[in-house]
Amino acid sequence: MASSHDADTEGITRRKSLAALAGAGALALAGCTETEGEDGSDGSDGSDGSDGSDGSDGSDGSDGSDGSDSLSGSINIAGSSTVFPLMSAVAEDFAADNPEVSIDISSTGSGGGFSNFFCVGETDFNNASRPIQPEEEELCADNGVEYVELVAATDALTVVINNDNDFATEMTVDELSQIWQSDAAELWSDVRDEWPDEEIERFGAADTSGTYDYFVENVMGEDGHTDDYQATEQDNTIASGVEGSEYAIGYFGFAYWFQNQDQITPVAIDNGNGPVEPSLETASSGEYAPLSRPLFTYPSIESLGEEHVAEFARYFVSQTTNEDLVAGDVGYVPATEETQEEQMGILEDAIEQAQG
Amino acid sequence: MATDTDTARIEGFGEVSRVRGIIFEYLSLGASVLGIFALAVLLVYVTIDAFDLAGTSPLWLLTYFVTLVVPFLAFCLYSARDREVTRRAVTVAGGGLVAVAAVFTAIETFVGQIPRLNWQLAYLFVVVAPLTGYLVYMGARGRPGAVGFGLVGRLIGGAAIGLAFSVLFLVFDERLWFLAYTLGIVPGLFAYAYGQLRNSSTAVTAALPVSLVGVVLAVFVRDVLRTYPTTTFIYLWTLAIPIAAAGALVVNARGSRTAALAAGGVPLALAAVVGLFGRAIGLGVGGPNALLVIALAGVPVAVYLHRVFDVGEGVTGLGLPVLLVGGALAGALVVETFGIPTPNSWVSGTFLTEAPSRNARDAGLYPAIVGSVIIIAMVAVLSFVLGVATSVFLEEYTADSGVVGALTRLLQINIANLAAVPSVVYGLLGLGLFANLLGFGFGTAVTVSLTLSLLILPITIISAQEAIRSVPDDLRRGSDAMGATRWQTTKNVVLPEAFPGILTGTILALGRAIGETAPLIMVGAATTVFSAPSSLFSKFSAMPMQIYAWANFPQAEFRYGVVAAGVITLLTILVGMNGTAILLRNRAERGS
Repeated sequence: MASSHDADTEGITRRKSLAALAGAGALALAGCTETEGEDGSDGSDGSDGSDGSDGSDGSDGSDGSDGSDSLSGSINIAGSSTVFPLMSAVAEDFAADNPEVSIDISSTGSGGGFSNFFCVGETDFNNASRPIQPEEEELCADNGVEYVELVAATDALTVVINNDNDFATEMTVDELSQIWQSDAAELWSDVRDEWPDEEIERFGAADTSGTYDYFVENVMGEDGHTDDYQATEQDNTIASGVEGSEYAIGYFGFAYWFQNQDQITPVAIDNGNGPVEPSLETASSGEYAPLSRPLFTYPSIESLGEEHVAEFARYFVSQTTNEDLVAGDVGYVPATEETQEEQMGILEDAIEQAQG
Repeated sequence: MATDTDTARIEGFGEVSRVRGIIFEYLSLGASVLGIFALAVLLVYVTIDAFDLAGTSPLWLLTYFVTLVVPFLAFCLYSARDREVTRRAVTVAGGGLVAVAAVFTAIETFVGQIPRLNWQLAYLFVVVAPLTGYLVYMGARGRPGAVGFGLVGRLIGGAAIGLAFSVLFLVFDERLWFLAYTLGIVPGLFAYAYGQLRNSSTAVTAALPVSLVGVVLAVFVRDVLRTYPTTTFIYLWTLAIPIAAAGALVVNARGSRTAALAAGGVPLALAAVVGLFGRAIGLGVGGPNALLVIALAGVPVAVYLHRVFDVGEGVTGLGLPVLLVGGALAGALVVETFGIPTPNSWVSGTFLTEAPSRNARDAGLYPAIVGSVIIIAMVAVLSFVLGVATSVFLEEYTADSGVVGALTRLLQINIANLAAVPSVVYGLLGLGLFANLLGFGFGTAVTVSLTLSLLILPITIISAQEAIRSVPDDLRRGSDAMGATRWQTTKNVVLPEAFPGILTGTILALGRAIGETAPLIMVGAATTVFSAPSSLFSKFSAMPMQIYAWANFPQAEFRYGVVAAGVITLLTILVGMNGTAILLRNRAERGS
């Protein structure tokens, strides 16, 4: 801080500089001003209003409905880590076309998303790699959250083994069940006699994951899932675990294998009609059974009442047939035209219900 | 003491203890080397991935080595002016080249391929990087080196602070700031200056209340007033002009009035011209952010230049920025002319300014960087204020004995234990308290910063307490003896003495906060957002969240390239932040 001993010299400079400041300030005030309301598209204030953080901007809150040409607002999405890449690819394109809409996506797992965020009314969409379960339906009903189910794409749940494993490249559903059920086989030879006397190392999805639920329901059924495995939400961990051991086995969504085909080997699954390898074609035709599964997203009906959410939902459904995006960039099976039409019908009904 | 038997025993004892001592010394050395080596290998690989150095042609490396690194090292040697250092540096650089090439080839022949490394890169990391560090250290001890580094540091630091300000104004309403500044701070400063000038203590005392009233008034006026200056003018009036004025005052205090006007005025004029008309006259840069950056980098540089010329020593050091820019340009020219392939670095302009994408090459970290900067700024303020206040209270105000003393000790134990509570638990606390109970929303900046502040608060408190405790009691007693009140003693004696220690603790704690992921997941911070947040209550993402999400992407390009680039960005911001705090601390240490 300025000391007082040379106050005189400073005083003059300060007076001069203050005059300069005042001049510049006056210039600033008079010359270049802007008025709020004209610059609604400026960003800082337009979105303030819809967030409700600034009480005075309450009147701006109706921005979304009257300005049909430019959508604005925020969209909160949570849920399955399997659907996450697909949803973020669609959201990326939507955000690029509608810069005023801010979209955020959290990868929480299907169950985590429903119970922690969606069914307590915090998010507008919840992604799921399996249908919503009864206890989640109940939770949503308790909190008055209504929703519709939209099919996003089809995934081929892929069972993988080490590249050096040349014996277990084909398995029946029953053998798969023996490996993963709650009193699981310890050695490969327990499953099929000609397989080696080596311990099975298992890497699978954690029980918050929709992949886990789907796998249990369609492979093991009543027999449940073994506890003797490395559970993780990270496909990456499963892949490197399987890559690291010749006698390891794991399962995850198709996309990871699709993008890393040299790292690990997929198992062809025999559901009674001969072994079928997982691929975009076999999953789409339904040949790859029982492991090809639909992926879902659940928009909340209340949120669909807002135009920007409804528009995003429409855009999402329209993109589910986009092969470049769904198959090429992400690695899932695109929806057929029929499915898309059907989903669009469901969505339009829900939007009408919400907005009408 | 001095009998024969005693000496013999002592010698025997000395013999044994020397062996143990030596073993202990080498074990400690081994432990530290192992730790540092492991970390170094990790960082080297992250760097290689982030800048795609594995695919870089050796010619490209050589070009920039010759045009950029060698002149820089020469500058350091010139500044150090020590034959011994020069001889050592040349020996290390030359001998290291031969040694690294030989050892590397030997390993590749006899042991096996080393992934994503070649001997040129190994030389860069094993010899050049440590040598550069050593020479920077030696060079900074000479006057030209100190001047050069000081100048470059002010340029980079000023620009970084300017950018940080422009990021903060994304969520903080600049119009409210404009009103608060105009109605509150300026009148307050006026009152203070008037009081100092005319020796009127009433005016000085009135300064603070005047400011407060003005700020409160601003909040009300903000609701009514609808017409404001443009953002560029707001920045000019509220930030650039005061900084320039402060710079001018500093120079003026050294005596020269013309120089003071120049030091404040030239950067201000430059900033104003570029900020207001930069785009219009086709400079390619302009607007409010350019104004901020130029003002914040320009004024300190101008002040520094004045001091250097005033002292008149080491003026050659001012050539360092020219040397660096010239070297980079020359390198670029050579690369361009001879068509040397440039590496496809993952850390790039678009990575820092674009939103995340499904294509690894288009992916960017911008919204997450903005989120992290805003969160960390709020955490720094909150935890510093709360931490210092708590520790001052615990150390200076509470009693040591009696019931109050027992309660204080209980509180102490609890604080120490809180420091060891896992971060997930704090995440749960944030979820329950801030997001649900107080309704600050899931994953908003407010919720996230409050949660992280709570998380690091115990560390801040404990380190601040240590710092306050290490202030000698003599100083306090001396102050008491002069008749100072406890508040005066704390304000004038204890806190200035303890400030460096408090800062050290806060720096360490903030380093932890910026990298936390678990509590962010718990309070529902977004994994990915596509646009920078526009208010404190919009959904936030932070760098560790986005990096974590990328690490789980199926595409290998994401898991190696993009994640590495994210890590480098995070580390750079962390180092920048810590560097600023360390500079502040060193200055405080020198001052006291």
